[in-house]
Amino acid sequence: MLSLTLQALFSGVLAGGYYAMVAVGLALVFGTMRIINLAHGELVLLAAYVAYAAESQYGLNPVMAIPFALVIVGASAALVYALLSRIDQDREINSLILTFGLGIILTNAVLMIWAADIHSTTAPWFQESVVVADTLFAMRSEVVFFVGGLVLMAGVHGWLNHSWQGRAVRALSSNRNAAKLMGVNPRRTEILSFLVAALLATFAGIAIYTGKTIFPSLGHVMTVKAFIITVLAGMGSIPGVLIGAVMIGCIESLTVTYVSASLQELAGMILFLVVLFVMPSGLFGGRKAIAR
Amino acid sequence: MKRFLVPAALAVAYVAVPLAFGGNPYVMGLIVAALTIGGIAVAWALLGNLGGMVSFGHAAFFGVGSYTSAVLSMKLGVPPLAGLLLGGLGAAIASIATMPALRLKGPYFALAILAYAHIFQILATEMTGVTGGAGGLLSIPRFPTLLGVDLGSKTGGYIIILTIVVLSAAAYAAIRRSAWGLALKAMHDTEIATRVIGVPSTHLKAAMLALSAFITGVVGAFNAHFINFLEPDYAFSGAWTVLPIAAAIFGGYRTVWGPVIGALTIYLLDQLVFKELMPHGHQFVLGMLLVGMILLSPGGLAPILGRRLEGGQRHAHA
Repeated sequence: MLSLTLQALFSGVLAGGYYAMVAVGLALVFGTMRIINLAHGELVLLAAYVAYAAESQYGLNPVMAIPFALVIVGASAALVYALLSRIDQDREINSLILTFGLGIILTNAVLMIWAADIHSTTAPWFQESVVVADTLFAMRSEVVFFVGGLVLMAGVHGWLNHSWQGRAVRALSSNRNAAKLMGVNPRRTEILSFLVAALLATFAGIAIYTGKTIFPSLGHVMTVKAFIITVLAGMGSIPGVLIGAVMIGCIESLTVTYVSASLQELAGMILFLVVLFVMPSGLFGGRKAIAR
Repeated sequence: MKRFLVPAALAVAYVAVPLAFGGNPYVMGLIVAALTIGGIAVAWALLGNLGGMVSFGHAAFFGVGSYTSAVLSMKLGVPPLAGLLLGGLGAAIASIATMPALRLKGPYFALAILAYAHIFQILATEMTGVTGGAGGLLSIPRFPTLLGVDLGSKTGGYIIILTIVVLSAAAYAAIRRSAWGLALKAMHDTEIATRVIGVPSTHLKAAMLALSAFITGVVGAFNAHFINFLEPDYAFSGAWTVLPIAAAIFGGYRTVWGPVIGALTIYLLDQLVFKELMPHGHQFVLGMLLVGMILLSPGGLAPILGRRLEGGQRHAHA
């Protein structure tokens, strides 16, 4: 019983690693633009399918596919930004619908090009099991991308806190007009936040492709999950998002272990609603209220 | 000119369409399905335009309405026509569960409703005793024969869904003209000022949400009795959210008839043209339509056509 629980928690923490990469990207874009990019999960999906195409058609290792995925996902993110910035009236409603539409386009483009089949990497190296502390099992890809994801997020965290551009992103999030007066170029900073989000989404996509399975509706699932995590954690900080992601990961894997795999999504959703209603600014959200 | 437009359109819809296509079950089925989407689109637009709320979870109300009516008619022998109202009532009651979400701002409300849709779908799958679970419900009772008209036929179904859509649109138009509509419009412009002068904005929003859920539930109940089959993945399918949104945006969600016209256009194009051209992923085109409309004409097609009809005198806006 205890070992089963520990194993579930361990798998949950590992899953939380890539959930966090997706959620941080969503939160960054929300910070600078005040827009929930509903096509964000589809960027993750795109990266995963680029890796799949590179592996199945050219025999390329998924890690080697990262540069190509970065270019394609980055270009898509830039396109999303370019379209979003053309909205001038009813910005809140229209940006939601626009990114919702873009998500539908990306999901169905993937569906048309690669069909609805479920895929995963064929490289055995990623899927060999790794034993941690004698009793906890994981796939090698899960461990590799968890550690890699932590390093990447630590890098983004450092960039946000110590570089001029990173500070510009945070300044724009906290007070747009004051940031402009201090010489921050809002457009350049917004697009930068989109590109960093695309970078994180690419890594998350490759992580999912090597450690889990991919299918076209995954993008939508990831968007919702990332949104739930950011609500849980508050939009404030990367460590907060990471903790929220790990919590969601653990709750899901505990549900799968002890209740039923079909209720996996339900657990996260219910937690999401409870947090929304009880603590609307999230567990570590500070004062950035999402409700009146 | 406008005074004759609505009666003329109604005459065409109730008399000319059944006479012209009544002999062709395939075309009639398509039109019924398009109006089903149109009914949800009107409900969605009512919430979006009057309530100022975007919902990505109308599939929840559709599914609850269809299951309520189907289960009541199968287990308790409730007649399907009464089931329509009870289905709407069921969805309105379900919307009470979502009302805490009303205090959330734009995107948070939109996604909280999406979470509800997932939860309802999972509940419908798991509550096998009532809903039959993933296996679904077979042979749901069909509509009866009334005054010599077989309402269970394609043409009968058409008359029912047409009536539902017309009544919903009429209710929408009446609310828009009423004092409530004025209060809701003021709320859309500046909510705090509206509350200060004593408008109970949260109550109004809750009423719009319940009404929108009711209409969607009635449409869901209609669909259950029309196709006589339900399963959770179908009843709560995301398509019941995506298609109505595309229809409302395309036709113009700030007008009363825009969503219906949008639904007829989009659904028929989708089924007759795009599905033939690309069997997989034909929703791609819906995505393109959504994006294109938001960028080029966020008010939809109806305001453009309306301005032409009225000689550009009035700007169509709630």
